[in-house]
Amino acid sequence: MVLLECRGVTKLFGALAAVQDFSFLLHSGEILGLIGPNGSGKTTLFNVIAGLYTPDQGKVFFRGKSTLGLPAHAICRLGIAKTSQIMQPFTDMTVWENVLVAALYGGNLPMARAVEKADEVLQFVGLGTLRDDPASKIAVPFRRRLELGRALATGAEVLLLDEVLAGLSSVEIEEALQLLREMRRQGKTLILVEHVMRAVMGVSDRISVIHHGEKIAEGNPREVAGNPLVIEAYLGKRYA
Amino acid sequence: MLLFFQSLVNGLLLGGIYAACSAGFSLAFGVMGVVNLSHGDFVMLGAFITYWLFVLLGMDPFLTLPFTLVILYGLGYLLQRLAINRLVGAPPIMSYLLTFGFHLVIANMALRAWTADYRSVNPSYSGLTWNWSGIVLPVSRLATFFVAMGVILGLYYLLYRTEIGRAVRATAQDREMARLTGVRIFKIYTFTFALAASITGLAGSLISNTFVIYPQMGLPFTITAFCVVVLGGMGYIPGTLLGGMVLGIVESMATTYLTAGISLTLTFFLLLLMLILRPGGILGKGAIE
Amino acid sequence: MARYLYSSRIQFIFLLSMGILLLIPLFGLEGYRLRLLALVFMWVALAGCWNLMSGYTGYIDFGPVAYFGIGSYCTALLMIRGNLPFLLSLFLSGGVCAGFAFIIGLVTLRLQGAYFAIATFAVAEALKQIILEGDRLAGVEFFGGSHGLTLPPAPSELFFYYLLLFFMGMVIALTYLLSHTKFGYGLRTVREAGSAAELSGVPTLRVKTQAYMLSSSLIGCVGGVEAYWLTYIIPDDVFHIMRTIQMVIMTLLGGMGTVLGPVIGGSFLTLIAEYLGVKFVYDYLILVGGVIILVIILLPRGVVGEIKRRRGRSRWFF
Repeated sequence: MVLLECRGVTKLFGALAAVQDFSFLLHSGEILGLIGPNGSGKTTLFNVIAGLYTPDQGKVFFRGKSTLGLPAHAICRLGIAKTSQIMQPFTDMTVWENVLVAALYGGNLPMARAVEKADEVLQFVGLGTLRDDPASKIAVPFRRRLELGRALATGAEVLLLDEVLAGLSSVEIEEALQLLREMRRQGKTLILVEHVMRAVMGVSDRISVIHHGEKIAEGNPREVAGNPLVIEAYLGKRYA
Repeated sequence: MLLFFQSLVNGLLLGGIYAACSAGFSLAFGVMGVVNLSHGDFVMLGAFITYWLFVLLGMDPFLTLPFTLVILYGLGYLLQRLAINRLVGAPPIMSYLLTFGFHLVIANMALRAWTADYRSVNPSYSGLTWNWSGIVLPVSRLATFFVAMGVILGLYYLLYRTEIGRAVRATAQDREMARLTGVRIFKIYTFTFALAASITGLAGSLISNTFVIYPQMGLPFTITAFCVVVLGGMGYIPGTLLGGMVLGIVESMATTYLTAGISLTLTFFLLLLMLILRPGGILGKGAIE
Repeated sequence: MARYLYSSRIQFIFLLSMGILLLIPLFGLEGYRLRLLALVFMWVALAGCWNLMSGYTGYIDFGPVAYFGIGSYCTALLMIRGNLPFLLSLFLSGGVCAGFAFIIGLVTLRLQGAYFAIATFAVAEALKQIILEGDRLAGVEFFGGSHGLTLPPAPSELFFYYLLLFFMGMVIALTYLLSHTKFGYGLRTVREAGSAAELSGVPTLRVKTQAYMLSSSLIGCVGGVEAYWLTYIIPDDVFHIMRTIQMVIMTLLGGMGTVLGPVIGGSFLTLIAEYLGVKFVYDYLILVGGVIILVIILLPRGVVGEIKRRRGRSRWFF
């Protein structure tokens, strides 16, 4: 079933098209990898889907209905959650409270249920021991987990994960990938923006490649890795 | 018709003065993100320095300018070095409150020391006017206007044509990058604030022969500075000139055609309107935050 | 299940304190001391209202005095020109303030931090000017201009003591209760620049508007109470920026975003003001300025905030 669809999405900043006529389909339960060189428009696309930006052209459809014009918080409540590359914990609150807020608002849960959900999510992402620490004071790798935790606590079906593996060691990456697979097992659908190639190639069902805001390739990881256009985009013409 | 042009000219002269009074405010905000609520008090101090030098030593107001420059530079230097520099990276509210604290202390110490009496500086030439085809131009206001223009141009030159000005602008644009290229951030901040204070004090000295002076005149000037800078674009020095002119003309027209009381309300409405519709200033070059 | 987030110990302390304050007058507290205590209640309530909005959201409102003034004038006008009884006038004034807050909020709450602060300040000053000049420009005899308004004679000091105690208690209780609700958490997410709150599903504009309306209507009510208490109001007094400054500094000193912060800051500064104010007006202001400077540099989280920080917990008296 097609859960999310982007149809001809274009986002301009002045004269620059950060995203140009981008279309793709996301099926329920799949893990889609979105890769591309730096500055190719991945985060912009995510921001459009999440409702932070309004597309200049094109629309985003969630479960068949257009999300055009909906504010970000409404889109989150509908079922699309995004993590931020620049981690933004709620500094005035503890780790647990950060996740609680997401469960209360994004998940629209009553307080009692939200408390339970927050506890569950913290256990799941492995932040249980840090629950009462001020969110602004925890170490960087844990902040990523917090971002993930908040997104999970909203109960969203579609999770847009922006570079959640950046800066992790090999062991940590493996642990993170396990988490992602477990999330899919629990019924989540994921889009991963990643630069850690072997990870994203290893865990994704399909890959879309974006370059200068346009889709240049799509397919399963092996097809995409061998695609000359993709190689050229990353390494230049000589290697294609 | 003549009334209209007189109003217009008055507004322009006033505008130049407002611009000079507000440039320092824009500078502090543009470079450091500091909204200096004690800004008007620097104007007040400059005016009083001129007053006392005039009254006690008989010095001509225009000759007191170097004194004001130096004294206010020192004050700005101390304030920044000892207090404001500690707020780098803190939420903006801290700088509003800190500078408001400065305002309370400065304005009320002045009040205690000099009482609330209104005073004015009246050199021998204060009554002279020049009549230009029917439009009355007070000579001292005219001279003040030209000096104010000179100050703005001088500031512009400093910022855009000198090494240190470049460092200041670099810091304003991207603090981390500037630091990486060797700019000593705290020294730049201290210099900037001290510069802003001295220019503002200078403007205060200039206006001493145009306006009445009293210890509490600071706050209205801070409000004026807000308005000028929002009109011209926060942090955009050339815009201060435009902002000053617009405000000066609006106030002048309002005073002529409506009442003096309403002009302040108009200032506020203008400010609100700008903030809502065009926070980047008329030219759109200001910081939106 | 959520009950466990509220501490019954704190509730007990609160009720005990309120009980003591309720009973004190019966033990001979009267005259000057009664008035002073009532004044403390008033300022704690005002600071508490400001804290509810700006303390928790970090979105600094520099114009709360606007609502104090609106509340004062509304209550006065309803009583004088509408011949309505005091409590009804007060209640209606609260509603009027909420309405104004909604309208003003529509335009100002979308602005970024510094601009919101300036805009709210401008609104407060503009309102003062309008009330001052309005009659003259429109040619009517309504607001009383710079002469102000005189209200009907007021009941005893005791009446105001209890009324202000009620408001103070309500504001403190409200702050405490709200801080553990969804709304309270939502408020605290607004503080962050950036999109984190929205991405977690928090409708930031709506939350800000609700807090703003709540805070403003309560401030307006207190304004109405003071109008009746003093029997005479003028624009320069009820719209004076010093009221805003007091609210801000009291909360700052006590600790923004804490329940007890306004209590500590409000009591302390009101008592100091009384001690210095009558004879040494300028000294009081210089002192306030000095306090502000010291607090910002040394104690940016306020007294309660620093205590919380040292204890390393986010949840203590919340």
